[in-house]
Amino acid sequence: MAHPRPAHTHPHHADHEHGKPLIRFDHASFRYPQGPALEDITLEIADGEFVGVIGPNGSGKTTMLRAILGLMPPTTGSLQIFDCACQNLRCHHRARIGYLPQKRTVDPNFPITVHEAVLMGRSGAIGLWKRPGKADLAIVRHALEDVGMEDYDDHPLGALSGGQQQRVFIARALAQHPQILLLDEPTTGIDTTTQHNVLDLIQRLHEELHLTIVLVSHDINLIAPLAERLALLKTRLYALGSAKQVLTKEILARVYGPQILTTDTGHVIVADHHHN
Amino acid sequence: MVDFLTLGFLQRSLMAAVLTGGVCAAIGVFVVLRGLAFIGAGTAHAAFAGVALAYLLGGPPMPFAIAFGLGTAWITGLLEERGRMKLDVSIGISYTATMALAILFIGLMKTYNAEVYGYLFGSILSVTADELKLTAGLAAVVIGLLALFAKEFFFLAFDQEMAEASGVPARRFFFLLLTLVALTIVVSLKTVGAILVFALLLIPAATAYQLTSSLHRMMAYSVAIGVLVSVAGVLLSFQFDLPTGPAIVLLATGVFFVAVALSPKRAPKPALS
Repeated sequence: MAHPRPAHTHPHHADHEHGKPLIRFDHASFRYPQGPALEDITLEIADGEFVGVIGPNGSGKTTMLRAILGLMPPTTGSLQIFDCACQNLRCHHRARIGYLPQKRTVDPNFPITVHEAVLMGRSGAIGLWKRPGKADLAIVRHALEDVGMEDYDDHPLGALSGGQQQRVFIARALAQHPQILLLDEPTTGIDTTTQHNVLDLIQRLHEELHLTIVLVSHDINLIAPLAERLALLKTRLYALGSAKQVLTKEILARVYGPQILTTDTGHVIVADHHHN
Repeated sequence: MVDFLTLGFLQRSLMAAVLTGGVCAAIGVFVVLRGLAFIGAGTAHAAFAGVALAYLLGGPPMPFAIAFGLGTAWITGLLEERGRMKLDVSIGISYTATMALAILFIGLMKTYNAEVYGYLFGSILSVTADELKLTAGLAAVVIGLLALFAKEFFFLAFDQEMAEASGVPARRFFFLLLTLVALTIVVSLKTVGAILVFALLLIPAATAYQLTSSLHRMMAYSVAIGVLVSVAGVLLSFQFDLPTGPAIVLLATGVFFVAVALSPKRAPKPALS
């Protein structure tokens, strides 16, 4: 069976308005024991770029982030992060990649304060043996200020609302002083108002701190206005480009099938909102 | 009261109680938070099998206990990591297999050896000066490594995958943690025995868990509780002629239930905006 060619209105390489490429997939494929997760991905993401990754359930969105973190080596092809093959990614490289995993439930009784959770983000940068110094504590304070949670420093993490916990986890990622920020469904499980607050925060961090952001979301309408480029995945990279270029009826119907509707205002409605 | 504290064997017992109670309570924080409780139980029985084999062969018990304990902890850790089977199943198999080995080794001995049973039930009042030195040495290694890598172990306990993604070599620290758990159990065999050491690993940490919402305070509370109940257990057992291991464990259990009843986590929380 011939595989569909990706609908690229842009070439795979990074936008030259931004810096040099930090992430380079070159015909990279990734597998889980039960089958292929991503196949033949070729994609470059430049320093300072904001890329949104969309696709149906099980399309490999989270796998793409895990690969960038160096947690999954490619079975074929290559993936380079900071000019280093992802399977050789060392701890000091990983310390430059902030990661917000898919929201997981924090045990409300787990004994950890907001300050302790954010300070964990400094672990890679501080290095083994060493203890956090005054500079690390100042970074934690600034990270909490960046997400508007500076008044909750000594609060138990488990006692916070879902949106507040999400802000704390973003602060933990920021405390790494990352060059790349990977966000996996950052608005899932939080109310609509908080969703917009979190997305505004991400947009502001991108603009003010010039972070390279790769944001995975099943919610096309939330991500489309923010990302400079969208990558549409369904195991393969089906489309890559601006929202206008990627979110066409033809491309969406080919990837999502009949479960997708596009309104006259350009709003995309996917019948199945569940994701994994 | 002061008079009997001058007795040499009691001084050694109290020092052993401080060391064992402290080191078990410290490593127990990570055992409880990382959900390794039953690895501790399996490792304790494996260490006892090592002791039994040492007595059967006429070798030194500690190296055998360390080898069996470490082997079991690492194998169980590998099985957990690879997810080949559910952890409770793999630990259940190692737990019963090592206990069967211990019974087999004891059965093969030509004569009854009461010392072996001392490692099963603990005999802190008969700790010798040499055993105390060994206990102190192993406790120093465990506490030293925990202090040195506290931030890595805390991150591992909270979220191992995030720790790995953030630049902490989490997998290596997981196996270092298993190693320290096995060493702690070996340290405690003589004091509280293979059956009750499991309680000393869990109860002080579980009690501290009830009392605080901070990782660092949980560690401090756990060590304080572990040392206090161990020392109090030794004194009670001396005063009332009770077996020491059960005295320590039952005292710890009592403190745990008091902590559960008084836990601030049980109080209704004010709603946060």
